[in-house]
Amino acid sequence: MRTFVGLISGGADIGRTRLFWISFGVVVLLFLLYPTQASAFRVSNVSFYLLNIPLGLGMALLWGYCGVLSFGHVAYFGVAGYTYGVIAGNMSGNPFGPLAGVAGGLLASMFVAGVFGYFVFYARVQKWIIPILTLVLTLLLETFLGQTAGYQWRVGSVLLGGYNGMTGIPWFQVGGFVFEGYSFYYLCLLLVLACYFGLRMLVNSNFGQVIVAIREDELRTELLGYDIRARQWVVFVLSAALAGLSGLLYVQWGNYITPSQVGLLQAALPVIWTAVGGTTSLLAVAISAFALNWITFTLSSQGNQYAMVIIGGLLVATMVFFPRGIVVMVAERLGRLMTRRAAPPRQP
Amino acid sequence: MLLRPKAHFGRSKRVLDLREAAMDVLSLVLSLLYQFGTSAAFFFLAAVGLVIILGMMNIINLAHGELMMIGAYTATLTYHAGVPFWLSVILSFFVAAAFGAVLELLIVRRFYGRELGALVVTWGVSLVLGQGTLLFFGPFLPSIGIPGGSFSYGVFSFSAYWLILSLISLLLIIGLWWLYNRTSYGLQAKATMQNAEMAKSLGVRTSRIYTLTFSLGAGLAGLSGALLAPTVTIAPFMGQQFVAPAFITVVVGGAANVIAGAVASSMVLAAVKTPIGMAFGAFSGTVALLLAALIIIRIMPNGLSAPLEKYFNRRAGRAMR
Amino acid sequence: MVMEPTVAIETLSLNKTFGGVVAASNVNFKVLSGEFRCMIGPNGAGKSTLFAMLCGIETADSGQIFVFGQDVTHTQAFKRVRLGVGLTFQTNRAFHALSVRENLAIPQASARLENKEVGQARLEFALDAFGLDPNDEIKAAELSHNQLQWLEIAMVLVGYPNLILLDEPAAGMASEETLRTAKVLKHLNSTGLTTVVVEHDMAFVKDAAQTVTVLHQGKIFAEGSVADIIAHEDVRRIYLGRA
Repeated sequence: MRTFVGLISGGADIGRTRLFWISFGVVVLLFLLYPTQASAFRVSNVSFYLLNIPLGLGMALLWGYCGVLSFGHVAYFGVAGYTYGVIAGNMSGNPFGPLAGVAGGLLASMFVAGVFGYFVFYARVQKWIIPILTLVLTLLLETFLGQTAGYQWRVGSVLLGGYNGMTGIPWFQVGGFVFEGYSFYYLCLLLVLACYFGLRMLVNSNFGQVIVAIREDELRTELLGYDIRARQWVVFVLSAALAGLSGLLYVQWGNYITPSQVGLLQAALPVIWTAVGGTTSLLAVAISAFALNWITFTLSSQGNQYAMVIIGGLLVATMVFFPRGIVVMVAERLGRLMTRRAAPPRQP
Repeated sequence: MLLRPKAHFGRSKRVLDLREAAMDVLSLVLSLLYQFGTSAAFFFLAAVGLVIILGMMNIINLAHGELMMIGAYTATLTYHAGVPFWLSVILSFFVAAAFGAVLELLIVRRFYGRELGALVVTWGVSLVLGQGTLLFFGPFLPSIGIPGGSFSYGVFSFSAYWLILSLISLLLIIGLWWLYNRTSYGLQAKATMQNAEMAKSLGVRTSRIYTLTFSLGAGLAGLSGALLAPTVTIAPFMGQQFVAPAFITVVVGGAANVIAGAVASSMVLAAVKTPIGMAFGAFSGTVALLLAALIIIRIMPNGLSAPLEKYFNRRAGRAMR
Repeated sequence: MVMEPTVAIETLSLNKTFGGVVAASNVNFKVLSGEFRCMIGPNGAGKSTLFAMLCGIETADSGQIFVFGQDVTHTQAFKRVRLGVGLTFQTNRAFHALSVRENLAIPQASARLENKEVGQARLEFALDAFGLDPNDEIKAAELSHNQLQWLEIAMVLVGYPNLILLDEPAAGMASEETLRTAKVLKHLNSTGLTTVVVEHDMAFVKDAAQTVTVLHQGKIFAEGSVADIIAHEDVRRIYLGRA
């Protein structure tokens, strides 16, 4: 138990004070109570903001902690979503079909990431090649899915649907219990919390320290006896599984998916959440993923055409003026303010 | 465009048949060569601006596709305003180059030495440019017809314009070689690339070299965009279709000697894409490109240019002795 | 158990060129287990390249490398570390952005368990002698130059190696610290830790080395006791005269 607490509260993420944990608890409580105060429509929207967080957390782990940048993590999001649609759609009526779809979706995204990761990590390619090739992969996936219109692109009883996408994807259900509306909201919340705490423990473990060491200096880490290729590969596949989780929740939320979900614009989003939040903090990325999804969703549902220009501009501004991330910077300011109030300033 | 078998009857036509078969084979070979040459030219044109910036500055410019789009837009708008096509192509070089210079001065120069940061920030720029163009110019512009007609040989037809593009690629390769090996800008750029501190202390204005180089890369992207404009749809996100081929070309070419690498990888990729694309369709051709890229970097992590550079060095070493 | 003196490192006609530069030419290099060996030679003599080939950063063009009797010519770097090879770099490569505690915690999971007792004793001795606190939360970047050099040595010792390769461990140190470093390394060597050091500082070499190897233009130029090497006319000419 002590190691458990130690891992969660270790130094590899922001927020370690008692005050932090109290406010964290309050926020979780507010999220738990939210459905009692809000309409079903709003709860569904918040579910959408929440379900994107695992994708962001995966990016933070991969880019921020391990120093490997992927521009194509939405590919794993899409692979999981489409696989779920195919499996659960073919097993419709079976109360455990969606569960099989979830397993299949996660395995499919991890498999694709595993094969791709083998080629790039075991070749020890230069740092800039991985983001480029991941981007190419997701663009190819989009092109492929875009040309699957028509009856010949049918897997069992499910149509892939070309640019119109796959529709009628079943809700998630376990046995007789169907997750929709409020129960789906709580499912998302629970999974987001589980992912966050699990990752926070991971980055505070020795494994986490070693991946940070790889980010800092690959050769030094290898000469301390670590197979850096294997570690990078594991982190890559894990972050693909997190992207896959978001993809599964997405198709369960909206019951459809289109190829544009793995297109260039979508591919930019997790990178933007991570940069704006701050690459070195899981919590900051979770917050920024939630906030930016909220903003884009609100802007675009109002028919605002400037949404992507604003988001792109935000990315450029963050990279130029707040390279460590806006949320991280605000958190540091707050932290300094709190400690100054709590204790008189020490002599330098 | 597969060879269609022709039905032949009767012995008296045998000689004629043979001649026709020979002509068919010849035209197939010519057509393969043409396909190979034009697709190599396409890869080279798509990648050339990117390659200059990567090789000289170690910056991956993800706004590359949008710079090509700017070139294409400039060419299209000026062409429809009555400017002759070839003049509008030259104009697009300068417009994109000016744009690149501004981009370098305002944003890119803060990211030297931070490869991943540069990648991310240029991606942000590309989003703003693509979406901004959509808002400003709408979803598409009227296209430019392909200049110069086509001619046919045997059952295949060839576009004169694509032959001109192949020729222009060759001229660009020669021009870049001349620029980097025979001019004082080239010398200073290479010195800056090797050791910026040292170059600076020798009186090279490195920040100006960076601006010029980025601007040149952007201008070449714009030029390519304008040259390819008649062959594609002119739309705000047209840059995206060049992203995959351009970046695969750069990845396969590697950064050790970018121009040689880009030339070699354009040819290798064309050799992969041409037969597979002809037999199984364009999408399979592109998938084959990604697979080829993965396999090539698995074997040669630093791309085709690393062994090429080694070979050049060894020859230079031998020449010294 | 009394052990015969075994061979810690042996290379057989190692060759390596970079473009036209010969970094190693027919190098036959041998260090016995438990030895304290110093390597000297002018800049560009191939010392760092030899180290890089020994620990797997560079692959030789031809030739073979044995570590504790095992052929490691084609073995990945991290696997050589698990055979007991530790290396510190010429330019300090402790993780500057991380704390001292983290720097010393990172190598723990790859520590060689078969060497645990003696390895732990060496580590504790070195931490004590260098004045490093393994629970220090100060960032490595804030340490002094000397402390950073010592931290990297300690990090390598966390893995419980049998053989350490140190590329100029005393570079940039004042003479007092140089001798302190030599003293600690000599003590570690006296516990059976095979030590190979590239060093320019002749005070260090005179103080610590049992045998000295002189590299010149990628070749082993001379090898012998400190006194022999200092007296060697050609060595004085190519190396000491210029230094």
